[in-house]
Amino acid sequence: MTTRELTVGVGAGELATADMVLNIGPQHPATHGVLRLRVTLDGERISRAEPIVGYMHRGAEKLFEVRDYRQIMVLANRHDWLSAFSSEVGLALTVERMLGMEVPVRATWTRTLLSELNRVLNHLMFLGSYPLELGAITPIFYSFREREELQTVMEEISGGRMHYMFNRVGGLREDIPAGWLQRVQAAIDGVRARMPELESLLVGNEILQARTRGVGVLTAEAVASYGVSGPIARASGLDVDLRRDQPYLAYDELFAPGGPGRVVTRQAGDCLARLEVLLEQTHVGLDLAQACVERLLAMPAGPVNLKLPKVLKVPEGSDYVATENPLGFNGYYLVSRGDKTPWRLALRSASFNNVAVLAELLPGNLLADMVAILGSMFFVVGDIDK
Amino acid sequence: MTDQDKKGFVPGLLKGMGTTARAMTRHAHTQEYPDVSPQLPPRSRGVIALEESNCTSCMLCARECPDWCIYIDSHKETVPPTTEGGRERKENVLDRFAIDFSLCMYCGICIEVCPFDALFWSPEFEYAETDIRDLLHEKDRLGQWMATVPAPPALDQGAPVDQPEPTESAPSEPQPAQAPDEDPAP
Repeated sequence: MTTRELTVGVGAGELATADMVLNIGPQHPATHGVLRLRVTLDGERISRAEPIVGYMHRGAEKLFEVRDYRQIMVLANRHDWLSAFSSEVGLALTVERMLGMEVPVRATWTRTLLSELNRVLNHLMFLGSYPLELGAITPIFYSFREREELQTVMEEISGGRMHYMFNRVGGLREDIPAGWLQRVQAAIDGVRARMPELESLLVGNEILQARTRGVGVLTAEAVASYGVSGPIARASGLDVDLRRDQPYLAYDELFAPGGPGRVVTRQAGDCLARLEVLLEQTHVGLDLAQACVERLLAMPAGPVNLKLPKVLKVPEGSDYVATENPLGFNGYYLVSRGDKTPWRLALRSASFNNVAVLAELLPGNLLADMVAILGSMFFVVGDIDK
Repeated sequence: MTDQDKKGFVPGLLKGMGTTARAMTRHAHTQEYPDVSPQLPPRSRGVIALEESNCTSCMLCARECPDWCIYIDSHKETVPPTTEGGRERKENVLDRFAIDFSLCMYCGICIEVCPFDALFWSPEFEYAETDIRDLLHEKDRLGQWMATVPAPPALDQGAPVDQPEPTESAPSEPQPAQAPDEDPAP
């Protein structure tokens, strides 16, 4: 109560003794997107931090209510534009489960393959952009080259590079083009062969280690109390992954003993651990994608979608389906009253919880480390504000 | 930080520069876009083309559009009977078909719901405008895109055989693009 606060930007007076309130964002080069942080500084040290969200609120949940289940896909893949496919899958699974629909095997494996490719794309983005925030410009060119390879195969099957619109209730929009699986295989091999280059620029680099090791340690208690999920939670030692713990799609087989799936964890909980989890998950994602390709090549012919009625109505009731999106848990709570639009479709997105923990994580750190910590929380602002 | 100070940042710097130097000896992966046009797959969602003769102005696309960016006006015309004693028919005549690409979210639902194969994706993307109002493409402009619509790709062998195989000679398919400048003479 006795400390005085001084807001900079207006006439600044006795800087030496007063706490300073600093607004980072909503338009600020240190943040990606329009996340605003209200930081109280005691000298160079952060004494309080408050993430202020909502600058990109688009009312997605309300918009869901006036669109039918095909149209909702368009919005569902836009809240987190780096995990578009995974978000589409989550919604399709929710509706299919409420309808009691049995999706063809080939569709399930293709969905799994595309989800994993999407995960690798997402992680590569952060593996490039995080060093950029730390001041290393080079890695993003390497990671974007790999992204380009994978986006090419994604575009070939779905027609889109970011917003795939490839899921339908009951399967996928179109079948696999001829020779596509071989091209996916080639892309996976190429990315895998070039990953060591990117890796050596990142975790092998002393400068990056100095900026990130021991910085922004997130405790497992904070993870649990804020509902943090995904790679950030696993970097703090929380061994949770819905692909293994609550299998959907074809993950029960992939994460079975002896399968290619494994959950990557670290104990340190610092920025470096978060980056390492992301990097290793990229490798796991490539392994899983490879397993899906092999499985699809060996699979007998079959459809990739079901014929839907002209007007699709979900029976009355409610259901919640959560999936392991690249950034964490992504859940849809669907309440239907038997109409062709949902009565309510609530969205639990990963980034919202993941940035909420910043209020606990930032105090005590130096302002110069703020960017390192902020970048290592791996969020998409659209996923926070919805 | 202390152990880092002892080791110094030099090895990391050198290693990074080594990677960069190796990358320097390789060919550039980027394409010089305006000079080299990208090769886009047939499913690429660039622009929506309209085959006007197939459109019955049934309004399905306009209704299913998630942000309602398709505008259709039509009127009914009476067609005299073709045979003696037959009855006259009424048919829809399309007056206006417009897509506002400043609103379009490129989801492709309109193309999917069209029961008469009147709408197609074309990978063409070079239609940026300086005035947002020019992104409203009327039916003549949408019709011009038809020439750029590629034939759909052949499907994987795992695809069920009862689905119609995409062939260039299928009567309902649009004329495939003549692959104008995809393969410049060497």
